[in-house]
Amino acid sequence: MTDFRLTAQHTDGDLALAQVAGELDIDTAPHLRTQALALIEQGHRHLILDLAAVTFCDSSGFNALVGILRCAKSADGTLVLAAVPDRLARLLNLTGLDTLLPAHPTAAHALVAHTPSPDTATA
Amino acid sequence: MPQAGHATGPAGTPGRRTLSAAEEAARIDAVRRYDILDTPPDGAFDRVAAMAARLFKVPVASVTIVDEDRIWFKAAHGLEGVSEIGREPGLCGSAILADETLVIPDTFTDPVAFNNGLVTGPMAVRFYAAAPIITGDGHRLGTVNILDTKPRLITEDDTATLADLAAIVLDELEMRLAALNALRTEQERRIEQEEARQRAERDKSAIEAFASTLQRTLLPPALPVVPGLELACHYATASPQNVGGDFYDVFPLGGKRWAFFLGDVCGKGPEAAALTSLTRYTLRAAALIDPDPDVVLTSLNTALLLDPAVGTRFCTAVFGVLEPHEDEGFTITVATGGHPPAYHLRGQGAVEAVQPKGGMLIGALAGAHFASHSIHLAPGEGLLLYTDGLTEARTLGGEMIGDEGLTRFLAARTGPVSAATVIGDTVDLIDAMPHGAGDDVALLALSVPLADAAASLTATATAHTIAPAGETPERRP
Repeated sequence: MTDFRLTAQHTDGDLALAQVAGELDIDTAPHLRTQALALIEQGHRHLILDLAAVTFCDSSGFNALVGILRCAKSADGTLVLAAVPDRLARLLNLTGLDTLLPAHPTAAHALVAHTPSPDTATA
Repeated sequence: MPQAGHATGPAGTPGRRTLSAAEEAARIDAVRRYDILDTPPDGAFDRVAAMAARLFKVPVASVTIVDEDRIWFKAAHGLEGVSEIGREPGLCGSAILADETLVIPDTFTDPVAFNNGLVTGPMAVRFYAAAPIITGDGHRLGTVNILDTKPRLITEDDTATLADLAAIVLDELEMRLAALNALRTEQERRIEQEEARQRAERDKSAIEAFASTLQRTLLPPALPVVPGLELACHYATASPQNVGGDFYDVFPLGGKRWAFFLGDVCGKGPEAAALTSLTRYTLRAAALIDPDPDVVLTSLNTALLLDPAVGTRFCTAVFGVLEPHEDEGFTITVATGGHPPAYHLRGQGAVEAVQPKGGMLIGALAGAHFASHSIHLAPGEGLLLYTDGLTEARTLGGEMIGDEGLTRFLAARTGPVSAATVIGDTVDLIDAMPHGAGDDVALLALSVPLADAAASLTATATAHTIAPAGETPERRP
């Protein structure tokens, strides 16, 4: 089992900020998915994932991000990324996911961007 | 002088009784159990016979086993060239019927023995004594005998000694049986191990054969011959037991146009294979309806999203169409869906990534958009398509080759580009990695030969490699 951790930090109303740490691969991606979907089900339909501590992400990790995005959208919510590591950012760009997953330099930026109106983050 | 077990009466008297058919059958089973009949001479039994002869100062002593219809001599001292005699006239045939050591002091006066061949024949046996060899469960296997040509009497101690010799024979038989059983168990164990090994070997080759057969259905059996173009490919799965998730194909669109694609489905194994198959045939069919690469990838995206069996799997792919350029070489139009860029090798070390903006993962999201981009592939130039097994292969230092490493590797190539050489050198690059690629790798290269080389171009080069180049992939660090 590779190292993976999701810590929900900021859960105000329909917003949740979760810190993701470790590797996103075939072992851990299902956990990311399950835990993120649980947050959405609890009513936090706007989800910010802080990826500052993610050390690796393969296609399974992408699969999980896509799944979470779909779920958030079907709940009229959003998925926003923060502090995306360089390599992951390149892969997001390569796969075209960067156009669907807005990214902010830090979790704080993402929170600020969310605050005025929940819809600005998806713009 | 008392003679223990001395029997003078006819068979059926207390000294000599008959065995019931069931008793005899059980006795024969016991004889068979020791697996002693017809075995070659054995020092241990020869010594018992010699010892008996010496102890009792008789000319003949033997160790016999009584079979169904014969008396077989395991050891015979003083009896040359006799290995067995019939059971009926045998004295020890009677002896095994006795409860204790049978002693016939003078055969002439014994109602059974006087008529025996040993007595009436050239041996003229006058004295006979036999101690039964009795197993732990009470079966009499045979006897230890002493014979003399003169009548004699023996003491109670003597008969006890003879019984001891018979007990030694039994001990020896038991030891042999234990050794035989140990040997048999060991052999059976070895046979079982060998069978298990062969079974595992068969299973393994069946799985490998299945995987490689399935793999072949997911890849073109051979690249087609495209006039004016050199093609080469390479395919290696990380494990011979598994079907890879990488795929490629080159096929005609009619006229002078051709299509090609290369991609990677998420995951590996049977489910990924099903998606690969669906992807490959969807791409072929879509391209025949409308070969615009952007449209083809959009069709694939829709097909994957509509197929409930696909689940949440997606794929990445590069799809291209080539048609002869008005001057020379080919015009290639490429669309990318979430896949690493193709590299346009301009010759003399010039390398350009071909990456139309906005190509998203295929089959992940409705409304995914793709874009295409055209290049001119001139003589001496080439195009390399690859899956990320190449760029994610790790060097001895644990670093991935990466886009930068691949670009440097390709830029180091000077001179006109040959598809076969590009593939060959790239495979060498992967093989030079300490763990090989560690993942599936698909490579496809196209090149336009220079005018003088084009004349000699006859066919395409293919390099299918299904077995892994390295060892089993290790966990990514």
